Amino acid sequence: MKLVSLHRRIERNSGLLIFGILVVSSIGGLVQVLPIVLGDAHGAPSAGLVVPSPLELEGRDIYIRESCSTCHSQQVRPLLAEVKRYGPYSRAGEFAYDRPFLWGSKRTGPDLARVGARYSDDWQRLHLLDPRSVVPASIMPAYPWLASRSADHGRTIQARMRALQSLGHPYTDEDIAAAPAALDDRTELDAVTAYLQSLGRSMQGEPQP
Amino acid sequence: MSTVFYQDRVVTAFTACAVFWAVLGMMAGVYVAAELVWPTIDFGQPALSFGRLRTLHTTLVLFGFGVSALIATAFYSVQRTSHVPLFAPRLAWFLLCAWQLAIVLGAASIMAGWNGGKEYAELEWPFDLAITVAWVAFAVVFFGTIARRKMESIYISNWFYGALIIVVAMLHIVNSLAMPATLGKSYSLFAGAQDAVVQWWYGHNAVGFLLTGGFLGMLYYFLPKHAEQPIWSYRLSIVAFWAFVYTYIWAGPHHLHYHSIPEWVQSLGMVMSLILLAPSWATMVNGIMTVSAASQKLRTDPALKFIVLSLAFYGLATFEGPMLAIKSVNVFSHFTEWTIGHVHSGALGWNALITFGTFYFLVPRLAGAPLYSARLANIHFWLALAGVMLYVLAMWGAGVSQGVLWLSLDELGEVRFSFNDVMAAMKPYYLLRFVAGLVFLAGAVLMAFNLARTFAGRRTIDVAPPGTHVAAGAST
Amino acid sequence: MAARLSILDLGKVLFRPNAVFEALAVEAPPVTQVLFRFALWLGLLPPVFACIGTLNFGWRLGVEPVFLPRETVIAISGAYFVALLFGFLSSAVIARWMAVTYDASQSLGRCFALMAIVGAPLAVGSVIHLYPHVFINVLVLVPALIWSMYLLYRGLPIVLRTGPNRGMLMASALIAYLLVAAVSLLGVTVALWGSGLGPRIGT
Repeated sequence: MKLVSLHRRIERNSGLLIFGILVVSSIGGLVQVLPIVLGDAHGAPSAGLVVPSPLELEGRDIYIRESCSTCHSQQVRPLLAEVKRYGPYSRAGEFAYDRPFLWGSKRTGPDLARVGARYSDDWQRLHLLDPRSVVPASIMPAYPWLASRSADHGRTIQARMRALQSLGHPYTDEDIAAAPAALDDRTELDAVTAYLQSLGRSMQGEPQP
Repeated sequence: MSTVFYQDRVVTAFTACAVFWAVLGMMAGVYVAAELVWPTIDFGQPALSFGRLRTLHTTLVLFGFGVSALIATAFYSVQRTSHVPLFAPRLAWFLLCAWQLAIVLGAASIMAGWNGGKEYAELEWPFDLAITVAWVAFAVVFFGTIARRKMESIYISNWFYGALIIVVAMLHIVNSLAMPATLGKSYSLFAGAQDAVVQWWYGHNAVGFLLTGGFLGMLYYFLPKHAEQPIWSYRLSIVAFWAFVYTYIWAGPHHLHYHSIPEWVQSLGMVMSLILLAPSWATMVNGIMTVSAASQKLRTDPALKFIVLSLAFYGLATFEGPMLAIKSVNVFSHFTEWTIGHVHSGALGWNALITFGTFYFLVPRLAGAPLYSARLANIHFWLALAGVMLYVLAMWGAGVSQGVLWLSLDELGEVRFSFNDVMAAMKPYYLLRFVAGLVFLAGAVLMAFNLARTFAGRRTIDVAPPGTHVAAGAST
Repeated sequence: MAARLSILDLGKVLFRPNAVFEALAVEAPPVTQVLFRFALWLGLLPPVFACIGTLNFGWRLGVEPVFLPRETVIAISGAYFVALLFGFLSSAVIARWMAVTYDASQSLGRCFALMAIVGAPLAVGSVIHLYPHVFINVLVLVPALIWSMYLLYRGLPIVLRTGPNRGMLMASALIAYLLVAAVSLLGVTVALWGSGLGPRIGT
């Protein structure tokens, strides 16, 4: 059988085997992933999408540090019950400045894509410091240390904004220069609250189902 | 210990590391399972917070336990299927040290809050670089041994280990592309929906090539060895291998059904996931038929029981995966505990069980001494089985409940149950899952003890390929 | 002891299975006898308990009980019975198909008897369906399931006369089938619910 004898050649040649594996395993990515990454349809920011402020960026980086995505998703699916519960379904353009994306893969807690402006700043603070004070049955961990740590205590906000700027985020040099002052006297709690209040903001004009 | 010809001390070292990380990683898992029941047991400590510990758990079990076990068995089997000792043994020792150091420091970094933000790739960029260097060492030792082989054909287990090395390298490099901002913080090159597609191309195929492909390499060597039978169908293994390598890569988007990525990508991911069932099961059938031909005289030792049962869970997991990839099932299962149940039926039922069985087979051979206690190993078998079944069924119950309750509408067409009510209803399942994890961990601890005692009784033995002259008195 | 499995032997099946296994090894029972005097009655228990429980208490998934119309409950219970019967029949047939590979007895009657005995702990444990709280049912039925798996590993080598080694291998292969069948049932159920055949869902 011709194929078997071809394979016998591959089996006797480690170079051919390596090459074969590389080629065969690349195809899927080239067809499925590359066009999405190179194309603009799923990377362009939606109209009205604003790049996160320094405080919101700090909040987002803390969200990542504490691995909030482990329990909270940020992606409303176009399903009736979901749209009723959370609001308009998510569009790709809303996430153009999400590095990395934080859609999550689990809802131990609720989806947060549209949590901005759903609760007051005070509620968010109380909930972060001790979830059970506002939701008695909650199993979310408490984050008391957010209140005692100052935002950007490592003084890295400018380095971070520069890194994002190099990746295409529309931060101006003036924005970056002004960033540390914007975080003066702010705590990590302020930052995370600001970040959460920004979620879904670009879609807030949308009619409710 | 096995001696002059094969480089087995490094195999033993990797095996010991694997057992260590298994116990530690599972302890982390049990702890986070407990945190879901008693959320205040982080005692206000950031390092013990659920988010960080869960990341610690996945990192330790995948990259500590899983990778160490794969390297141990890859190095053991590649030597014996090539009839040559390991190429560049000092590089193999470098790999051991580098890898374990990366895991230890990486674990500390996670607890300190360094997090890249992408699942199963949370370690930040310095670790990404270190891992890449270490992985190159793995590739050099492994493929170098194959290049030097005395056997003309490359045995099939090596194709799978080879695919593990090559594909994981490709996935890791692309998915880790990021712009560093500080030593402990970088930003992904990709953003939003584009990042999602890249991440799940990586994430699904990390499962595919690390958890599936690599362990199939383990299966293809240790099962026939144990059963003293050749692989049932050589042709089937060729077709299954290439179909597997080709198809798995496409399945990633099933993690993104109903998300803001193109419809065609979702549908393609779903279809390819279903097609994937064929090569996955072809391998399972190959394994089952191989062992079924085993002689009646073959002793039913616990090692064999573990390996054979792992095939059953492999069948379950590789069936459930495509099923969950179907959109009309996924609509219920996504974001729920069902996904977690699926992960663990594979991770515990397939990966852990086959590794346990392989270690019960391997360690006595490395030690040159019989297994310390077959009785303990049999107890472990039942603990493992009970633990997995309890885990999976608790998660099936929880997950289907969540899925149904979240989507339930009342007579007016409004959502019927609040999120908080559904969340509260999950508590008993979380308790059950914690117990299941404890049971499974108990079995693993028994194994660690058993293997340690076995190794304590080690003797030096002569092992070499047939027809090789081994110098008396020489040492590795 | 004659290998006449009857539902009246349920106690012996559960608590002295070895005697039942050995009798079956000696003499293969007729398929119809196993079906009509044992398996059918066993298979009736879960749907009947579930029907009574659901009508009285509703489905309890941890929130407010979900009460379904009487006709729906009866229909679902009927479907449950059919699914169980299919599961039992198919696993016996699959076991018979595997028997060739493992040098096992190819008597369909023995396979039917074995699978029915294996299902017995679950059938008896299904009394918990009288209170259809999902979690409580999981709590009771998982140990029952472990017991069932134990009976399979214990009984197969004896009943199908494979000897310990082949018996373990064949039992594991059957467990693969049973796990896949169970998860398929889950998948098919939710897929049907999503397409309208079940509780009101907003997809």
